[in-house]
Amino acid sequence: MSAHANGVKFSPAAGDLLLMVGTAKGAFLLLSDSRRADFKVSGPHFPGQSVWSLALVNDNNPRILAGNKSNHWGAMVSWSDDFGATWNEPTEGNIKFPRGSGAALNAVWALEASTALGADVVLAGVDPAAMFRSDDRGETFRLNEALFNHPDRPKWNPGFGGLCLHTLLVHPREPQRMYAAISSGGIYRSDDGGDSWNPCVNGLRVHPDVPGATLCPHKMRFDAENPSRMYLQNHPGVYRTDNDARSWVTIENGLPSDFGFPMVAHPRRGGTIYNFPLVSDEFRVPRDGAPRVWRSRDAGATWQALGRGLPDRAGFFTVLRDAFCADTLEPVGLYFGTRGGQLYGSNDEGESWRALAEFLPPVLCVKSALVA
Amino acid sequence: MRVHIPGALRRWTDGRDVVEVALAPEKGASAAEIIEALARAHPGIRDRVLDEQGELRRHVNIFIDGENARQLGGLDARVGAGSEMWIHPALSGGAR
Repeated sequence: MSAHANGVKFSPAAGDLLLMVGTAKGAFLLLSDSRRADFKVSGPHFPGQSVWSLALVNDNNPRILAGNKSNHWGAMVSWSDDFGATWNEPTEGNIKFPRGSGAALNAVWALEASTALGADVVLAGVDPAAMFRSDDRGETFRLNEALFNHPDRPKWNPGFGGLCLHTLLVHPREPQRMYAAISSGGIYRSDDGGDSWNPCVNGLRVHPDVPGATLCPHKMRFDAENPSRMYLQNHPGVYRTDNDARSWVTIENGLPSDFGFPMVAHPRRGGTIYNFPLVSDEFRVPRDGAPRVWRSRDAGATWQALGRGLPDRAGFFTVLRDAFCADTLEPVGLYFGTRGGQLYGSNDEGESWRALAEFLPPVLCVKSALVA
Repeated sequence: MRVHIPGALRRWTDGRDVVEVALAPEKGASAAEIIEALARAHPGIRDRVLDEQGELRRHVNIFIDGENARQLGGLDARVGAGSEMWIHPALSGGAR
């Protein structure tokens, strides 16, 4: 056990808002009451390490999970049972590929806790692409062999971020159904709790300039009211499915570009989603240096730009796929972090924004949770 | 022989910067065997120096009597009973 914090200790009350921010050089925790007017900040946790994923096991014994990586000493899942005052790093690596498989863990891209699979279950998505499952709240993990040995695996190729399994979604009412998204490998659905996986790329268009684009999902989210409906920011293309990913239709008309990384869904209102378009694959910045969050209230039929409080010029930052999230308060809060180290928040569902932090290391992930 | 532990790993050796590993003078050992012996006494060491396939992590260096083990056969490099071995974070950087 070790302490990494800046001395700030959190003692959250039920209903407080916790923001968990992973960066290239450590993690930061921000805590506010439900008014979201003032945030206390603790960190950096894991100073000097990149923190690719964060999650809260959100029950009566809250536990923060971190996918931390030392460029020297390797990657792992660590946990804190006291809101970051101390952290437990596993003595031996707790996510390992089988000896002889030729694979070695590079980074933990996704941690999903408090899903319909149960309070003690944590799923991890990693680079090289694989899913691991923990049944002890993130202390030990075992490999999902079916996905690791999938016959499609030879077709998967690493992108700039590695060969990462970055998104794991568990159906909220039928937890045997889950989705895994791999860059670049594609989207896979399991209907049997992970015993078998089938690709879900029907309708994703082949891009003449980007071979393999159908196999490069960037972020995928459930609709708030209808989990058969999902939204996808693909490498090029923005899509929706209304049939459990059996087919996809394009919803990018009205957006300034088809390229971006995040996709965020409103936590309660079906059809409302948020996107952060970038110019193109070749030029990954907001158009004209004027970053805007784009919102649709009709499942992608039409889009509106939201940006009061965001830079109108010289704002050439990028928001990565896991660095944009929503809270569940009323009205909903939205938060995104940039590769330039800014953290922006909105307390009014994206209408207006303010900087919550401006000089962090490059932000890799932003997650929110209301403390149970 | 003696293994010098870098600061970042001393939490796994109870703060010790040097750990003695007993070695029969006539036999010697490989660098991999030294790390395994070290890890038996201090289990946090192995997975931070080696990956799960048993390979030396890319940005970790081992020096044996002043020579980089990568130039001596890697983890097969021979270590004598009187040897000194250092584990170092590699001088890597520039990208971040």
